[in-house]
Amino acid sequence: MPQVKIIAKNFMDMVAALPALKLDKLYDNTFICEAVLRSLPPLAKKYVLQLLYIDEPVTAKSMEDWVLTDGTSKHRVAIDRLIQLRVFLEITDRKKETSYRLNPKFQGNLQHYIVHGGVLPRESMSSSITVRLPTAEELDSYALEQWESFLLQLISSSQPEKMTSFTSSMMKIFQQGLLSLRDKEAPKLTESGFQFLLMDTNAQLWYIIREYIINSEVRGVDSADLISFLLELSFHVTGQAYNASTLNDVQRSAINDLAELGLIKLQQGRKDNWFIPTKLATNLSVSLSDSSSRKQGFVVVETNFRLYAYSTSKLHCEILRLFARVEYQLPNLIVGAITKESLYTAFENGITSEQAIVPYSETVNLQIISFLQQNAHPRVSDRAAPSVPENVTDQIRLWESDLNRVEVTPANFYDEFPSKDVFEGACDYARDNGGLLWEDSKRMRLVVKAEIHTLMRDYLHRQK
Amino acid sequence: MVSHIGPVTVMDSAPSKQYSDDVSLVMVLLDTNPFFWGGENTTTKVSFSNFLIHVISFLNSVLLLNQLNQVVVIATGYNSCDYIFDSSTSESLNVSSGNGKMPALCSKMLQKLEEFVIRDEQLSKENSPSGIVSSLLSGSLSLALCYIQKVLRSGRLHPNPRLRDAFFSVVVACLGIGCISFNFIEIELSHLTDINLQILCLQGSPDGPEQYVAVMNAIFSAQRSMVPIDSCIVGVQHSAFLQQASYITGGVYLKPPQLDGLFQYLSTVFATDLHSRSFLQLPKPVGVDFRASCFCHKSTIDMGYICSVCLSIFCKQHKKCSTCGSVFGQANPEVKLPTDRKRKAIDLNAAYN
Repeated sequence: MPQVKIIAKNFMDMVAALPALKLDKLYDNTFICEAVLRSLPPLAKKYVLQLLYIDEPVTAKSMEDWVLTDGTSKHRVAIDRLIQLRVFLEITDRKKETSYRLNPKFQGNLQHYIVHGGVLPRESMSSSITVRLPTAEELDSYALEQWESFLLQLISSSQPEKMTSFTSSMMKIFQQGLLSLRDKEAPKLTESGFQFLLMDTNAQLWYIIREYIINSEVRGVDSADLISFLLELSFHVTGQAYNASTLNDVQRSAINDLAELGLIKLQQGRKDNWFIPTKLATNLSVSLSDSSSRKQGFVVVETNFRLYAYSTSKLHCEILRLFARVEYQLPNLIVGAITKESLYTAFENGITSEQAIVPYSETVNLQIISFLQQNAHPRVSDRAAPSVPENVTDQIRLWESDLNRVEVTPANFYDEFPSKDVFEGACDYARDNGGLLWEDSKRMRLVVKAEIHTLMRDYLHRQK
Repeated sequence: MVSHIGPVTVMDSAPSKQYSDDVSLVMVLLDTNPFFWGGENTTTKVSFSNFLIHVISFLNSVLLLNQLNQVVVIATGYNSCDYIFDSSTSESLNVSSGNGKMPALCSKMLQKLEEFVIRDEQLSKENSPSGIVSSLLSGSLSLALCYIQKVLRSGRLHPNPRLRDAFFSVVVACLGIGCISFNFIEIELSHLTDINLQILCLQGSPDGPEQYVAVMNAIFSAQRSMVPIDSCIVGVQHSAFLQQASYITGGVYLKPPQLDGLFQYLSTVFATDLHSRSFLQLPKPVGVDFRASCFCHKSTIDMGYICSVCLSIFCKQHKKCSTCGSVFGQANPEVKLPTDRKRKAIDLNAAYN
């Protein structure tokens, strides 16, 4: 199976994985409740709203009556998710009937929201203290710059000739899993790293944050604290200054780390320090499908496999170089071509040595195609025709399937069976266990998948 | 929340998939008719302030559901109507982050509402009411539709230029009054279901038959833009206009039997995003009053005469159509039988479609 672990959808999978006790503690925070509610599937949101002012448990049966027959699967998904996140508490009464009620803390917080409206996590600082705040454009470009330089570092460190030293310890954490760092060998992008670069910014951001949270325990920080702070951060107003003295130690160290990524801009005044969340930070709790952070596309792909990228960004050039041959570069234009050779290097990069033996399905070509489609130049994407010509996408798929004509399965070879009966018994046994790959009854030879080798051996011993 | 490497997402190259399913823009039309809320109409039981509490809670809950949700409130007065609240512009003061300081917004909305009611009252002094005191539903419906067109054409929600053009021609077509000729453009419904634009009419006062043509035009315009009109009747009588509006545009029509729990009705029925509606049990229309108003005297009629050219409706026989000017032939009583009301309504719908 191709590895798709890199696509963790959002914060909520992580929140859902927390133990019940921690989760209930998180719900003390209004912003968590709000963010959790917004992450739910539409139907689940509706159920929460519907039960918001109902204090009695509602039976599962009566809830099923709310949906039409063709919505049953959606209903199940919604209920499961609600229970998983402990928004719904399951109650089974004596008659073995299940009923649900809202988590009281969650309910209380949302009721408060409905009546009083949303509030901000902390007051922003008055403009008299923070004399010169960056404008929205400045802040955006700052965030973009930081982020791109981070990504650039990731790519360039994978290329031996441009070896750079990692500046911070955080960088190392972020690069874990994306780069394979072996002794004496230049760091190389792993498959995950390759996929990572082709993802859109939100997905990349989430991946990094996820790594950051997972690693928090190592640094002695409670992951629940960190999650709640990050979620809270996403409710701050972009471009406003917030006093850093309102933060505790955990949060302050987090702020410093996030500043390196461009999620936050730190500024120092005469007396106070303050932080300014950028768009990247306030988009954190937004689910991946949202396009609020969508950037202007820049790529035009022609039917003759030529590729024009209207971009001044070095990062874009490097990303394109991952799978296309860059022919020349003008100040604001990168011209390249998608060739069989360039794609083959991409496919090779996308496969780590461990995974090379596993039948590797089409994730890489899909990644490349979706990258091209998502970043299509507005002139192209506004047309009714597909943004990437069909013949190009088809060819990319074909080229990759070309590579996967041979499938390798680890196996064991058995021969010199004492008798026909033993051989046939062994064949049947292997077949029953789903491991028979090849048999030659004439010369009594047999090939069986490696994973059932021990079973086979035991079986053959028993036959003796 | 589809994973970005699923074959589904990749094969679907349409840019319309950018929005998660339940992002909604809800236009709420608030009936502020003083003759309804303050008048002899005491049978409603619910006071205007109570009503507002429910509505504001509802607005909050819509904003709560998704950070990209937007709410626009339009006050429908007796003489005028106006935008009184727009969650997107009030946010621009303290940018993005879903929703700003709601209590402040709330007071701002109430303040604007008060100003509006006073202005509305001053207008009514000049022409004192007589007969049915209806609200200016047609006006606020048109305001809502204009806002929706503005949003659609700004391209903020709609990346597809084909649709933008389609909507443009629709709004042009809709501006003509009486005689409507539609430019038929096939609009793929799938592109639209992602946005969830909806209009919710909170109506208390009775229908004004004199607004019949304008209201119907608004309804058909909404139908063309595929914007459902939901209606929640807080008054005593059913509203034939809104019954038709919800029926034609595929919205929900509801007259809550108990107004104390208005919020529960609003949140259960009307806060449902369009995507979820297709698999939920929602109130079904009991019956729709298809009666039309005649163009000549603006009175509601069961049977009447229809101009065969422009479909104008008249309660009496005329020699010439007052709308399009076609001259009718000499009436032959046996041939030109007035259609019964059911048939007529169907004919009307068929003609507009």
